[in-house]
Amino acid sequence: MLGEPSAEAAGRADRTGRALLGVHELSVAYAGAVQALRGVSLEVPERGILAVLGANGAGKTTLLRAVSGTLAGQGGAVTGGTIELEDRSLLGLDPARIARAGVVQVPEGRRVFSNLTVAENLRAGGLAARDKGARERARSWVHELFPILAERATQRAGLLSGGEQQMLAIGRALMAGPRVLLLDEPSLGLAPRVVEQIGEVVREINRQGVTVVLVEQNAAMALAVADRAVVLEVGRVSLAGSSRELADNPEVRDRYLGGGSEAAPRSRRAPARGEELVVDGVSVRFGGVAALSDVSFTVAPGSTHALIGPNGAGKSTCLNVLSGVYGASAGSVRYGGRELRGLRPHRVAALGVSRTFQNISLSPTATVLDNLLLARHRLMRAGFVSDGLRLPGARRERARHEDRVREIAALIGLEPALDRGVRTLSYGSRKRVELARALCAEPGLVLLDEPVAGMTREESAAMADGIAAARGELGISALVVEHDMAFVMGIADRVTVLDFGRRIADGTPADVQRDPEVRRAYLGGEA
Amino acid sequence: MNQFVTLLVGGVLLGAIYALVALGFVTIFRATGVFNFAQGSVLLLGAYVIGRLHDSIGFWPAAGAGIIVAALASLLIDALLIRRIRRADLGTLAILTLGVDILLLTELTRRIGTDVVSIGAPWGSDVVELAGIRVPASRVIAGGVALVLVAALAVAVKVTDWGVAMRSAAEDGETASLMGIRLNRVAAGAWALAGAFAAVAGLFLTSFPAAGVTAGVGIVALAAIPAVVLGGFDSPEGSVVGGLVIGVVSVLCAGYQDELSFLGRGIGTVAPFVVMLLVLLVRPSGLFGTREVTRV
Amino acid sequence: MSRLLAAGAAVVLAALPLYLESFWLQTGLFAMAAIVGAIGLTLLVGIAGQLSLGHAFFVAIGAYGYAYLAGQETAGADGPSGLGLPPLAALVGAVALAGIAGALFSPIAGRVRGIYLGLASLGLVFLGQHILQNATGITGGYEGVAVEPFSLFGLHFSNTGPDDLVVFGVPYGALERLWYVGLAIAAVAIWYGRNLVRSRPGRALATVRDSEVAAAVMGVDVVRYKAAAFTVSSMYAGLGGVLYALAFGRIVPESFGFLLSVDFLVMIVIGGAGSVGGAAAGAVFVTALPLILNRYSGSLPLLAEPGSGGVSASEFSRYVYGAAIVAVLLFAREGLAGLARRARPSPELKERLA
Repeated sequence: MLGEPSAEAAGRADRTGRALLGVHELSVAYAGAVQALRGVSLEVPERGILAVLGANGAGKTTLLRAVSGTLAGQGGAVTGGTIELEDRSLLGLDPARIARAGVVQVPEGRRVFSNLTVAENLRAGGLAARDKGARERARSWVHELFPILAERATQRAGLLSGGEQQMLAIGRALMAGPRVLLLDEPSLGLAPRVVEQIGEVVREINRQGVTVVLVEQNAAMALAVADRAVVLEVGRVSLAGSSRELADNPEVRDRYLGGGSEAAPRSRRAPARGEELVVDGVSVRFGGVAALSDVSFTVAPGSTHALIGPNGAGKSTCLNVLSGVYGASAGSVRYGGRELRGLRPHRVAALGVSRTFQNISLSPTATVLDNLLLARHRLMRAGFVSDGLRLPGARRERARHEDRVREIAALIGLEPALDRGVRTLSYGSRKRVELARALCAEPGLVLLDEPVAGMTREESAAMADGIAAARGELGISALVVEHDMAFVMGIADRVTVLDFGRRIADGTPADVQRDPEVRRAYLGGEA
Repeated sequence: MNQFVTLLVGGVLLGAIYALVALGFVTIFRATGVFNFAQGSVLLLGAYVIGRLHDSIGFWPAAGAGIIVAALASLLIDALLIRRIRRADLGTLAILTLGVDILLLTELTRRIGTDVVSIGAPWGSDVVELAGIRVPASRVIAGGVALVLVAALAVAVKVTDWGVAMRSAAEDGETASLMGIRLNRVAAGAWALAGAFAAVAGLFLTSFPAAGVTAGVGIVALAAIPAVVLGGFDSPEGSVVGGLVIGVVSVLCAGYQDELSFLGRGIGTVAPFVVMLLVLLVRPSGLFGTREVTRV
Repeated sequence: MSRLLAAGAAVVLAALPLYLESFWLQTGLFAMAAIVGAIGLTLLVGIAGQLSLGHAFFVAIGAYGYAYLAGQETAGADGPSGLGLPPLAALVGAVALAGIAGALFSPIAGRVRGIYLGLASLGLVFLGQHILQNATGITGGYEGVAVEPFSLFGLHFSNTGPDDLVVFGVPYGALERLWYVGLAIAAVAIWYGRNLVRSRPGRALATVRDSEVAAAVMGVDVVRYKAAAFTVSSMYAGLGGVLYALAFGRIVPESFGFLLSVDFLVMIVIGGAGSVGGAAAGAVFVTALPLILNRYSGSLPLLAEPGSGGVSASEFSRYVYGAAIVAVLLFAREGLAGLARRARPSPELKERLA
C-alpha cells in the first residue's frame, strides 16, 4: 500500500476551517494552443496541507505557476477561472506582489542562487519580509529548522548537495514570512532518507501556522505529509479526497504505473530496416554529478523499446548521448556495429539515427512541409548554386523528395496540414509534426523524447497509431522515453527502467510493472 | 624609459575612465540582460549638460545636474522602452538601444554642431608631477574618482539589499521575482547607475587634455566596447581589467606612433579593436565572462 | 495576375531613364546598390540568425576591390594605380574578394556567439577604416580614389564618350547606361535571394537559427553552414559595394564606416529580418530619404542648413531611422514584411471563406 498518513495529519483534516487559497474552474493555455489546465477547482483550507499529485505533464507545475504569477515567462496565460487568496484575486498580479501578499513558491529543481552564499540567498528571500524584525525572526526560525544552513552560511550555494540546496530553497522562501507555501516537487532527485527529512520539515512548518500546497510525483511521501490530496491528469482533477482515502485507493497506483491497460495487439510489421543498437556501460558526468552510471541495454532491430523512470532519472541525458549532443565519459554506443560515441550530431544522423525533442524544436514560422523537408537534408544534394539558381536537377530532386514527404505525412495523418504554418497548429498536431519530421529522415532507428507529454487521451491514441503505422510500414526501431505509463505499456516490446542514472530493471512491460524496485522508484515508500 | 612610464601611467588613468564606462555596460547587462548601445550618447548627454550649465550655475552644481540628467535619461530608456519587450531576445533588445542611440546622438551632435564646449573643470589644464612624471591633474583626479566609484559599487553590490537583489535577479530573474524581488526596481537602479557613471566618465573624457565637448565624443564611448567585450559582459572585474588594458594599449600605441608608423597612422584608435578580436579568438566569451550569456 | 504586374513594373523601370534627370538616376542607383547589400545582411541576420555589425567592411572590399582591379595601370593625377583589368572581370574579382573575406571571418563566427559576434564584427569595420586610411598605395587614403567607369563588350559607360548613344531622342550617358546594369544586378540579387530562402541550404540555415541542436540532429553540418552564410552575405555586400563605387564615381573611406553598417541594419529591421522583399523596400527607403529631403530642403519648412541651428536633411533622416527602429521593434517586430503578410489573407482564412 502507499504510505500511511500520520494520525496527526488525519486529525488535522478535521480541524482545519475555511479556505485560504481557492482555485475555481481554472484554465491555462501555453502559446494560445496548448491547453495545460482545463477547469481545475480546488481549495486549500487555512493551516492545512494539500498534496497535488499526478504524472509528468499533468499540469501540476502549471497550476503552481498560475498561482505564483509566473506563467507569462513561459508563454502561458490564464484563459478562464479564478484564483483567490481569502477574498482577493491573484490573477494579473506580478510575481513579486503575490510573494509580498504572502504566497511564496519554492520552484521545481530548487533554483538556489548558486553564485550567492547561503546567507545571501536567505537575505534575498527576506527582502519581501514586512520589516527588519520579521526578517530576523524568520532567519532564526529557518536556522532552527535547518541548522546546516547556519553552519554553511558563508558557502556558495552552488556547492551544496542536492538535499542541502532543497533545504536552502525552502528556508529562502520562509524568510518572507509566507502564509501559503507552494512546494514544487521537493523530493526531486533526492535520496529516500533526505526525502523523509523534507517531509518532517514540511509538517513542522505547517505546525507553525503556514498553509502548504505540496506538488509531488512521489505519492507516498506526499500522502504521508498532507491531509488532503487531489490527483491531476492531463490538466483535470481526476481524484480528490483526504490523503487517507487516496492512499487506500488502488486507482492511484494504476494511474501511475499504467496497470489495467493491456499490451497492444501484435500488429503487422514490415521487415526490420534498422540495425541493432547496443548501449554498453555508458556513464555521463556533469561537473561532479553523475547523470548516468554504467547504463546498458539493447534495442533489437524493428522493435519498440521504452526507456522510463522518475523525473531526473537521466532518460533525456541518455537520448542526448545517443544522438551525439552530449559526450559520454565512459562506455560505448554501437549502432549496426559502428561506434556512435564521439561523433558529432550530424554524423550520427548520417548513419540513420533520427530523433524528436521534448520541447518541440520545429521552426515555428515555417510551414509543416518545410519543416518536414528539412529532414531530407542529408538525403539531398542541392546546394547554394544548384538550388539558388533553380537548376532543373535541383527542381527534380525537390519534387521527388516532396512526394516522399507527402507519403510519410499521410501515414501520420498530417496531409491536410502540410501548407499551414506550424505556429497555427494545436500542440498535439505539432508533436505529430515533430514525429513525422524524424521519420522523413528515413532513419533505421528513431529516438522519441516524450512524444505524448501534455496530450489528452485522444491525442495520445492518435500518436500511438502514428508510431504503430511507422513501425508497420517502415520497419524502423524506436527508443521511446515517456512518463505516460499507459502509453508505454501499450506500444513497447521491451522496457528499460532508470532511476538516479542507473538501470534498475529491464524486461517486458508486464515484468517491469510487477517489479518491486520499479514501484518503489515511482511511488516511493515501501511497495 | 621616462617616456614609457609616462605613457603607461597615462594609459592606466585613461583606462580607469574607460573602466567606468565599461562598468556601466556590465551593470545593465547583469541586471537586465541588455547590451546598451545608448551608453555612448548618454555619456555625451551628461557632458553636454555640464558644459552648457557651468557658466551659469558654477561647475559643481552643473556636474551634479549632468549626472542626474544622464541617470534619468538612462532610467527612462529602460522604463519606457525596454520594459515593454523585456522578454525579447538579446539581439532585438540591443538593436532597440541602437535606435535610441541614433536618436539621442543625432540630437546632441546637432546642438553641439562644430562648437567646442569647455567643460569648465576647476582643475583646468593643471599638470602635476608624480615621481618625475608629468601627468595632467584632470587625469589623476579621474583615476582617483574612478577608483572610489568602482570600489563603492563593488561594496554596494556585495553589501546592500539592492546589491543582493541585483545579483539574484542577474542569476535567475524568475526565481528572484518569486521571492518578492521587484525586477523593475532592480532594473531602474542599474540603468540609473550606468547613466551616472557614464556622465562622470564623460566629464573626465572632455577635460584637459581633451579640448572639450565636441560632436565626436559620442563615438569615444564606442572605444569602451572593446573593454567590455575583452573583460566579458557579465563580469565587473572583467570590465575594470578590460578598461585598463584598452587604456594602456591606446595610449602606448598613440605615444609610440612614430616607431609604429609602419602599421599606419592612427593606430591608437584601432589597436583596442584588434586586441579585442585576438582575445575573442582565444576566449570566445571574453577573459572573465561566463559562457552561457551569448544567446542572441 | 502578379506576372502581369511584374512585367508592367519591368517596362516602367526600363523606361525611366528616358524621363528622369541625373539626380533621380543616381539616387536610384544608390538604392539598387543598397538593395543588394541589404539582401545580403537579411540573409545573414534574418535567415541564418547571425548578428553582424560588420557589413560595411565587406561593402568596402567590394568597392575598393573594383576600384583597384579596374583602375588604370599608371598612377595619374587622380590617385593610386590599379591592375587595369576589364571592368566585368574586376566586378567578378571584387565580389570574389569580398566572399573570401567573409569565408575567412567565419571561423571566428563559428567560435564566437550571439552578441559577442556582433561586436567582433564591429571591430572589423574599424580595422577596415584603418586599412583604408593608411594603405594609400591602393586606396588613396582619406582622399579616396576615382572609380574607372564601367564598360561592357566595348560599350563604355562614361559621359565623356567615346560611344554616343541616343534612345528615343534622349542622349544616354553614364548614369542612364549604368541604370540597366543596376536593374539587372538588383533583379538577379532579389531572384537568387528568394530562391535561397526556399532552398535546401535556406531551410538548413533557418533551422540553425531556430535551434542549432535540431539542425545538427537532422544532419546539418552547422559549422559549414554558418561559414557559407557569411560567405554568401559578404558576396552580396561586395556586389553592392561595386555598384556604389560605379554610382559614386569616386570613393572615400569615410563612407564605409560604422554608420553604413548601422544604415544596413536599419534597412533590414524596417523591412523585416529574413524577408528579401522587405530588405529591398527598407533599402530604398533608407537610401532615398536623406537624398530627397536634401534636395527639397529649401521648400520644406522643417529643414534648414546644417550647422545653422535648425534640423538639416541628413539629421532629420537620422531621427526617422532611430524612431523607425524603436517603433518597429516595439510594435511591429516583423517590419514591413510582417505587415504585408498580415494584410494578405492566410491560407486558413481562405479555406474558411471558400
